[in-house]
Amino acid sequence: MTIREAADAIRDKCVSPVELATAAISRIGRLDSTLRAFITVTADYAMLRARQAETELAAGRDRGPLHGIPIAVKDLFAMRGVRTTAGSRIFENRVPDFDSAVVERLEAAGAVILGKLNMHELAYGVTSANPHFGVVRNPWNTGRSPGGSSGGSGAAVAANIVFGAMGSDTGGSIRIPASFCGTVGLKPTYGRVSRYGAMPLGYSLDHMGPLTRSVRDAGLILNAIAGRDRRDHASSPRPVVDFVPDDGCSLRALRIGFPENFYFERIDPQVESAVRGAIARAASLGAEIKPVRVPDIAALNAIGQVILLSEASAVLEPYLESRELFGADVLTRLDQGRLIPAVDYINAQRLRRRLRAEFDKLWSAVDCILTPATPNTAPKIGETTVHLGGRDEDARLAATRLARGINVLGLPALSIPCGLSGAGLPVGLQILGQAFDEATILKVGAALEDGGVGIPPCPLS
Amino acid sequence: MRDWKAIAKASGSPLTGKDLDALILPLEALEATFRPLTKDLSPDLDPSVEFRMEADVE
Repeated sequence: MTIREAADAIRDKCVSPVELATAAISRIGRLDSTLRAFITVTADYAMLRARQAETELAAGRDRGPLHGIPIAVKDLFAMRGVRTTAGSRIFENRVPDFDSAVVERLEAAGAVILGKLNMHELAYGVTSANPHFGVVRNPWNTGRSPGGSSGGSGAAVAANIVFGAMGSDTGGSIRIPASFCGTVGLKPTYGRVSRYGAMPLGYSLDHMGPLTRSVRDAGLILNAIAGRDRRDHASSPRPVVDFVPDDGCSLRALRIGFPENFYFERIDPQVESAVRGAIARAASLGAEIKPVRVPDIAALNAIGQVILLSEASAVLEPYLESRELFGADVLTRLDQGRLIPAVDYINAQRLRRRLRAEFDKLWSAVDCILTPATPNTAPKIGETTVHLGGRDEDARLAATRLARGINVLGLPALSIPCGLSGAGLPVGLQILGQAFDEATILKVGAALEDGGVGIPPCPLS
Repeated sequence: MRDWKAIAKASGSPLTGKDLDALILPLEALEATFRPLTKDLSPDLDPSVEFRMEADVE
């Protein structure tokens, strides 16, 4: 069931918010000892909020489609009175006395927050094998990684525990778990969603966005969380539109770019086949498919690494005296970041401006670009290298290869499931759009979803 | 190419041997990709991160 279906069922009195919350809590009890998707479950609070939603709806106070819907948030979003660890021992006992903007806005929309989701330590990695709060497992195959860093978000949505989850994306951390777990994942434009109260990793790269079971559900959550917030200096004053695509939206007259370079190099043949199938479906639904040559994405990835290494080490510098509190992989990256010269950081930000201008030229020719979200399906837990294009590649670099550069550009990107591999693992299609044009990529995603691009429900759900 | 080992030592890194290699090998690989990109940067290209006066933000 999607958020839209659940919202209709609540209003038709087929189900109540309390029943939805009860079912979600029951599924956590049944599944989470295996999945380890949650760090903190706020069951009592969720039941209170569900009862409030029921009372309000009965009194005719309808806050919209999220009212009474069970949602969860990655454990880096501050929530008043609830432990917010960022997946780190450093913050294991931190209990904020304020709400992050995302929590505040979800609650204003009536969402019922069920808890705080497990993640890669400090959001600084893509496995979600958290050394302090447990290894998150992929509901499609519990021997596989859910991706990260929003791995708990992907797992909780795929396993049908919650209807939607909030994640953050600094180098692919929404789109990678969406791809590996077979959910929709939306990274909005930088500045579209307030970062206020979310533990930072890379100040100029951090994006907040939802993981959901359908594209329209991602639009519904974006409707609730988007918009200017003066507490975040990067928050955009641009007006917010209705992001939910119309029923029966069409791809006619849309120009969809198909990259001739980079994105289809060194990828799993099964991923390539599924993504090319989705592009063919877009053509059959009336889109004009246009080959495009994208600017140097490998350069963008290198620029993104220099920026992230520098910014993350700046964020966490005050805590680096307590080395024993960090997991080994995160500590290595933080040590690396301390060695990056300021000259490199500044030059990376200069190159970023130049590549952004080069990328912007594409938008005169196409409205969006379709690519794979990840070059491979979910690797086995603990796998450090993957074999792609005839050679071994670091699993972390492979997972981020098609995603990281888009954070450098700040552009919106959507991952939707577009097929299953022979091993029954989801494949993700990435839809890239112009800055602040989330509406178009959501429309393309919804039209593809309506046109049959997708996967069956996760067996665990 | 920078001498990352020397930089690590000079910055007080306690790492040695394989641990130090694990630290610097990715930095060497990153530098090999990143450094050539900076060769033709024109002096008038501002960095993307800017300080802006509050009044200019709106």
